[in-house]
Amino acid sequence: MTLLAALALATAPVEPTPAAPAISAALTDTNVRVSSDFSGARIILYGAVFDPSTRPSDVVVLVRGPEQPVRITRRHKVAGLWLNSRPVVFRGAPGFYRAASNRPLADIANFGTLRRLGAGMDHLPISAPGEQRTETRYGVRDVVVSRLGADYYVWRRAVVRLKQKAGLYDEDERGVSFVDRGLFRAAISLPAGAPTGVYRADILLFQDGRPVAVRSRTLTVEKVGLERALYVWAHVRPWSYGLASMAFALAAGWAASAAFRRE
Amino acid sequence: MEIYLPIAEVAVNAPLIVALGALVGFISGMFGIGGGFLMTPLLVFFGIPAPVAVSSMALHVAGSSMSSVMAYGRRRAVDLRMGGVLAGGGVVGAVVGVELFRVLRLLGQADLIVALSYLVFLSVIGGLMLTESLGAIVRRRRGEPALAHRDRRPIWLYGLPLKLRFPRSRLYISVIPPLVLGAFVGVLSAIMGVGGGFILVPAMIYILRMPAGMVVGTSLLQIIVTTALTGVLQAGRNQTVDVVLATLLLIGGVVGAQLGARASSRFRAEELRAILALIVLLVGLRMGLGLFLTPEEPFVLMSGMVG
Repeated sequence: MTLLAALALATAPVEPTPAAPAISAALTDTNVRVSSDFSGARIILYGAVFDPSTRPSDVVVLVRGPEQPVRITRRHKVAGLWLNSRPVVFRGAPGFYRAASNRPLADIANFGTLRRLGAGMDHLPISAPGEQRTETRYGVRDVVVSRLGADYYVWRRAVVRLKQKAGLYDEDERGVSFVDRGLFRAAISLPAGAPTGVYRADILLFQDGRPVAVRSRTLTVEKVGLERALYVWAHVRPWSYGLASMAFALAAGWAASAAFRRE
Repeated sequence: MEIYLPIAEVAVNAPLIVALGALVGFISGMFGIGGGFLMTPLLVFFGIPAPVAVSSMALHVAGSSMSSVMAYGRRRAVDLRMGGVLAGGGVVGAVVGVELFRVLRLLGQADLIVALSYLVFLSVIGGLMLTESLGAIVRRRRGEPALAHRDRRPIWLYGLPLKLRFPRSRLYISVIPPLVLGAFVGVLSAIMGVGGGFILVPAMIYILRMPAGMVVGTSLLQIIVTTALTGVLQAGRNQTVDVVLATLLLIGGVVGAQLGARASSRFRAEELRAILALIVLLVGLRMGLGLFLTPEEPFVLMSGMVG
């Protein structure tokens, strides 16, 4: 009896009007600590879809690390030698990016929607503002053109490709799996080279190709212990750090020599 | 056993890096060179970002050179005065070199200059040393007398002003050639992430005509001063010195250097030079090869230096 009553109470608020669908999620770990034995981390995201109607739902999880400008150069042949071009700086590139979904992103929503949300490696808001200028073309004012010309997209794709090769960008069209009705999980693996800082995980619920609900979670990746102390020292007081580490190196060399002499 | 490097921000296999340090330290102690020309490319190969490898090398080279210079000092095989003059030039060269490296990285041409420097200097020096030492070995095998030591030193060595007496090396020459040599090696030290011994040692033998027994210990002294300065400058200006990486390299390096210095007395000088020449030549050609081979990936991400 009481069980039935409780169930009735629990379902009661949803009943009257078909309320808007909602999504909820939690991370198994919200604080990744980078210490000397850090070799990457694996974080599980659990979530639930609350939808009174039973329309087909798709879940997309986007994890973005802190933004890092990217400097990239292209090698080209000059008189038999492969030389670097002038470097181009791309902005808006997250230091880490994972897109996970329960089926291919292209099947979930259309190009425009994915582009607007930055969902998928092809839709990241990466641009090279240093190469852009506005000019009037065909009578249209303020047209943004890139100095890289038609090659612009080749460069942009190269940024994503190289980041992907370094294990920092990834897209998994089977990364979100429904473990039960409305209950899903996704695994996010951080490589050892993942940048430190605050990460944001956006969990989006799609229905009929439109995002209908969103939930955000943050994740902090920080150095701890000796690693953090050294990193901070090296960046806040670089000269004293340099002097101390050099003194240490010389002392180690001297000590080793002294130790060997005694033998 | 993986260890995370706080400045390089990558995880490396600790025993592997220690072994690498020991190997390079052994070569360093044996031939009286810093060994940076070997270590820097190896570190980059194992995934350490190039700027961090170049800068952290300075610590390792300074430490292991310190360890071997003591061994040479006890054998009274160090010309302190000559080392001081060379180091004076090296200080100027290191300051210029660190700034030059910054500008080159901003222009995106650091890779090219580093590869070209390796190709040109290592192949030329390696080639010259190999020819000379193989010639000496062949002559000895045939029982011919060694080439008559050309005691006539180049006239310009004596014609230049500011002469100074170097009693240990039994020289009375102008300080300008060693100063220029020291400065040149200082610049290379900052750009190539090397101590510069592979240039210094032959230059001291063939240009300054120092007695062979003094050359190695004295070049180590100059290398310590130059790399110590380079290391501090790289830490202060570029924040690219990883002390954890340097410590791992040092653990292996100081031990290796001691063993190398002992092993060196078991070989003939020309045999040592021939082995070193081969190593130098191979590294130079390998580094230069990248300039001529079509890259698999035409784009390259450049670490650091943004903003």
